[in-house]
Amino acid sequence: MRFEAQVMPHLDAAYRFARWLVRSSADAEDIVQESILRAYRGFDALRGTDAKSWLLTIVRNCHATAHRQQQRRAAVPLPEESDTEHGYAMTATTPDPQHASIERDEERAFEQLLSQLSAEHREVLALRELEEMSYRDIATLTRLPIGTVMSRLARARAALKELWLTQTQGEPGVVR
Amino acid sequence: MSCAESLRLQAYFDGELDAPGALEIEAHLEQCPACRALLQDLEQLRVAIRRELAPAVPAALRARIARRLDQEPAAGALPPPAPRSWSRRPFWLGALGGAGGSALAATLLFLVLSPSLGSVLLDELVAAHVRSLMPAHLIDVESTDQHTVKPWFSGHADVSPVVADFAAQGYRLVGGRADYLDRQRAAVVVYQHGAHVINVFSWSERGGLSQQTTRNGYHLLFWKNGDVQYCAVSDAGWDELAKLVRLLQQQATRDNPH
Repeated sequence: MRFEAQVMPHLDAAYRFARWLVRSSADAEDIVQESILRAYRGFDALRGTDAKSWLLTIVRNCHATAHRQQQRRAAVPLPEESDTEHGYAMTATTPDPQHASIERDEERAFEQLLSQLSAEHREVLALRELEEMSYRDIATLTRLPIGTVMSRLARARAALKELWLTQTQGEPGVVR
Repeated sequence: MSCAESLRLQAYFDGELDAPGALEIEAHLEQCPACRALLQDLEQLRVAIRRELAPAVPAALRARIARRLDQEPAAGALPPPAPRSWSRRPFWLGALGGAGGSALAATLLFLVLSPSLGSVLLDELVAAHVRSLMPAHLIDVESTDQHTVKPWFSGHADVSPVVADFAAQGYRLVGGRADYLDRQRAAVVVYQHGAHVINVFSWSERGGLSQQTTRNGYHLLFWKNGDVQYCAVSDAGWDELAKLVRLLQQQATRDNPH
């Protein structure tokens, strides 16, 4: 019955993952809050499974739900890269004004880079590089064959490297 | 350009190959410049992602979630049969049935009288405590020697707290840590008491809190010494926590007799 001890240590992971999925911090916050609530209410279902994978799966499902609702509401279909941008930011709080401008700059850089990656690439990169999940766990979470995970990961890495190269031209040393 | 082994190289980099496979790839790397370059790319990319693209949870979100969870009925308490309804009650009602009755009274009194103590601060303290229990987060400076821990704070925190080892009394000093709390760099002195970790937070506070409360199952005991506000957080019992606080207060008097 120790939700705080078993699940809350993965709050950072949930937020990072959500942030990579949706690209706007307000949407990510809403998804994370909703996910933690769902996790809390369904804590009995955890039983022995890995708490982090379990929580990230919930984050992924929450995102998918919000995404579908957004699509249903949209009168005109939006292109894939912009359709997760709006919709579930209703409960976002106003950030502290003192920190807001610094945060906004960082956020813009973050969004800019990630917005150029496909959703599939963002997902697999976040799970592997940030959450350090095994191929098998990623395959389970994303319901993909392992071979697809591997090839998608390779393409995602190549794509991000290209982006980083173009973005950091003139400031060598980040990624060659 | 890319080698036929590039996917296996990636699996090697991700730690997904068994030992014979890894040996094969290492041998292959010796003679394949394309794979050596790819491996270097993979390493640099990973470092860059973890450094630049790993946002931390905003403190406000953490606090909002903790507040929200406090409003929820106890996890797993889907319509509980009446005799088992203890699982819906705050845990301290059960825990404080006997010896801790006065602590319970104090807790309730505190909750009634002191709405001004920001629940955000309580959430921050509990979040910091829980976070400290995760691997590699407990201490920044590991030492049982107060003369190592205390000077460390002067460069890493905004206050200089009382630090002493009370191993003889059952509270072993294990080290110190700096946490961001209430918009300051708080000093945290970490004690081990039996199976319990006790985090003693300290920061500078103009007002002053000297109360005790319970949050998410953890005990928080506040006291003030000079300009320094202290809070001990742990899942240890009230009496055990109070004993450490008394030891720290006595030590403060010895350090600063006037």
